[in-house]
Amino acid sequence: MNIKHRFFKFKRDLNRWSLLLLIILAAVAIPILTIGLKLFDGPGDSWGHIVDYVLFDYLQNSLLLAIFCSIIVIVFGVSTAWLVSRFHFPFRKQLEWLLILPLSVPAYIMAYAYAGVFGYSGLFSNIVDAVGLDGFRIDFMNIYGLSFVLSISLFPYVYVSSRTFFLAQATNLLEASRMLGISEFKSFFKLIFPLARPAIIAGLVLVLMEVLNDYGAASYYGVSTFTTGIFRSWFSLGEPETAIYLSAILLIIVFGLILFEKWQRRHMNFTSAKTSKQNYSSKLRPKKGHQILFSLICFVPVCLGFILPVIQLLIWAKQTFAKVWNVEFITITLESFGIAFITALITVLVALLLLFFTKWNKIELLKSSSKLGVLGYAIPGIIIAIGVLVPSLYIDKWLIEKNITSKLILNATLIALVYAYVVRFLAVAYQPLESSSLKIDRSLSDSSKVLGEGNFKTFFKIEFPLIRTGLLSAFILVFIDILKELPLTLIMKPYDVNTLAVKAFEYASDEMVSSAALPSLLIILTALVPAIFLNKLLLKNASNS
Amino acid sequence: MRYIFYLLVISVSVIGCKSDKKTEDSKELTVYTHRHYESDQELFKRFEEETDIKLNIVNASADELIQKMSLEGEQSPADVLITVDAGRLYRAKSQDLLQSFSSPLIDSIVPNHLRDEDGHWVSLTKRARVIAYAKDRVDSTELSTYENLTSEEWKDKILVRSSSNIYNQSLLASIIANEGNEFAENWAQGVVDNMARSPKGNDRDQVKAVANGEGDLAIVNTYYIGKLLNSEDENELEAGESVGIFFPNQETTGTHINVSGIGVAKYSPNKASAVEFVEFLLKEDAQNIFAGSNYEYPINPNVEPSEILKEWGEFKEDKLSLNELGKNNKEAVIIFDKVGWK
Repeated sequence: MNIKHRFFKFKRDLNRWSLLLLIILAAVAIPILTIGLKLFDGPGDSWGHIVDYVLFDYLQNSLLLAIFCSIIVIVFGVSTAWLVSRFHFPFRKQLEWLLILPLSVPAYIMAYAYAGVFGYSGLFSNIVDAVGLDGFRIDFMNIYGLSFVLSISLFPYVYVSSRTFFLAQATNLLEASRMLGISEFKSFFKLIFPLARPAIIAGLVLVLMEVLNDYGAASYYGVSTFTTGIFRSWFSLGEPETAIYLSAILLIIVFGLILFEKWQRRHMNFTSAKTSKQNYSSKLRPKKGHQILFSLICFVPVCLGFILPVIQLLIWAKQTFAKVWNVEFITITLESFGIAFITALITVLVALLLLFFTKWNKIELLKSSSKLGVLGYAIPGIIIAIGVLVPSLYIDKWLIEKNITSKLILNATLIALVYAYVVRFLAVAYQPLESSSLKIDRSLSDSSKVLGEGNFKTFFKIEFPLIRTGLLSAFILVFIDILKELPLTLIMKPYDVNTLAVKAFEYASDEMVSSAALPSLLIILTALVPAIFLNKLLLKNASNS
Repeated sequence: MRYIFYLLVISVSVIGCKSDKKTEDSKELTVYTHRHYESDQELFKRFEEETDIKLNIVNASADELIQKMSLEGEQSPADVLITVDAGRLYRAKSQDLLQSFSSPLIDSIVPNHLRDEDGHWVSLTKRARVIAYAKDRVDSTELSTYENLTSEEWKDKILVRSSSNIYNQSLLASIIANEGNEFAENWAQGVVDNMARSPKGNDRDQVKAVANGEGDLAIVNTYYIGKLLNSEDENELEAGESVGIFFPNQETTGTHINVSGIGVAKYSPNKASAVEFVEFLLKEDAQNIFAGSNYEYPINPNVEPSEILKEWGEFKEDKLSLNELGKNNKEAVIIFDKVGWK
């Protein structure tokens, strides 16, 4: 194809959606590109030292962590999602939303809680001693413990994305396979699991991004990962350049993963022929014994990821309540709720625009680069902060130079903070939306357009109702994530706004883990509100659609 | 949905009210601080009451704050930077983010080795890095110096946290400054060889591990033992009581100390108030609060440390200039990586 030809193709494909897409993409990609530009400054002096002595360790540990976590979250996430959306069993309704809750426990708090449970004279040793196995201990603070802690707090990503898929998938396929005499078990592995792959992977990508950028839990458990390395190069060696270099490598790996995933499903069409109407009502009623077994299977991750750590937190909160509690916590809780709610709305909206502008735009290059927008999630929050601070300070300084303002107006305001959150959490909103929009049969929107309806009308009439569940899941996930977010909040928040995560961190970083329990519990409580509520909506939706 | 909406309205108005009440003409001081202790919040409140200067507190890790200051450049709103170690102040100074300041009061309180040579920062409080030993298994006469920790008798007995921790870095930096690179590397290697387990957890966890027999000696900060001895958790209390405190190097260089300190930002919009703030923090009232509620050693010689610290007795501190810790910090990290101190 020669240049002239290309140009004509470009001109033909260019439409207003391409331009709008470009604007959104630019807005979310600026911080990431800013970091990218910093790469041209080269790494710091100690780069050679890092390559010689520690890089291999970082790579190895991060890789192992990613593998262990993938296995655990798929086992927990997919099995529970399948059971709750396919079968009737006791407490199914409660378990359905309880399974989202482990997400509300910040990973580093989960790490502390488990260290407490398995520590000297912790819950575990008390129980073990009580049943007569004196002295039996499990050393939890190592890479296996870390994998477990991270997986158990992150598996809901996979649970939510695969459940969204299972709730909407066509049961007629299953009915067919049942009629052919294939067992439920077998058709799960032969039929459903492969079909659900994009949804599972969408959740898994989020988990892996978060696993790769965890700092708090890894450093407490003494496991050197890529991210602890990033922090070490910056904080201990005093070389932000080296830290940015390391995170660029991390980013390239993650981007590679995303592209690989896209590439390998390139020829597949995951839309179901017909969206069945009765899928919700057609839950199976297995034998009583099986029902109890299913309840147990779903209860295990709830217990490990939520009940057990919450019990530990309650024990600590009881010890420290008198010392820690003050009325300020009520305002802080409200502030956290408000910020998380509004930012989650904006993030979901931006993700939605990104997704549909991409779809409506016809330029191939833009289509594939839209994935750039979601990379923020793989970058440690603190480095995103640099990416946001640089351009926002640039605007501030420009305004001062032009005498429009006299001091920094974006710096340390809610605007900059919300912007940073959107950049960071766009992926969390984008993945569930994308996976639910993949299921929409293209012929639906095509026929709408053939009948002369525009993109917008088609969107509101056809596509929006179909991805509503995806929208709700995306909202809950982002909301909870923002409640827990820390490094970004610390450095970007306005002076007089406080969040629960900041409070929890203040105590934890001073080694007062038990005092951090109270604000952590409040985070969990705040996260409960939309989780329960939106789950109800999700169900209503599924039964109506 | 309605309830969520109400909640939302309330919370938004809470945030709205807060950002609205900016008083235009009153004096302000912006504090970038790594310290986030209750004692500090108490002090900040008192300062606001006494002086009518409103404090804007930005609380984050020192490195983030330094990065933020350097990005903000001349427009930085920061007036002062407070850190919990001298190394970070040294780093801020070497990035040209601080300026010199002085006052007769400050000069009379802070001794030379506890401040910057060019007057860019001063210390506020001290902590000592000591050896906590299992009272029932170790005789304190067996202990002498940090250097002695590498001897064969402590094989598999030493507990210490990760080398990412600044207090470990400062300790090694002081050894580099006192004894040179090669000695320091051998020392670090010796400690690694004697470790009871791979480094994990925080200082409190090291003491708990000693209490539970995983090792006999822990290299820890006095500050955290104070916290343990005042814990609400019985097990922590027991752990704290089961160890003895030994101040190493009394016959030689003195016990390694680290400080929490304050510097005045180079582009501070309110330098006079900033210096007033530093003076306030060094005066007896404030130092009493530091010492009393936070188990730190006060800088002001007229203020006594808390009861717990007094019980451990007086000790000779390493008078090495704290600037040396900053200068040698990077070398220390490189040595840690080389010898595999995680």
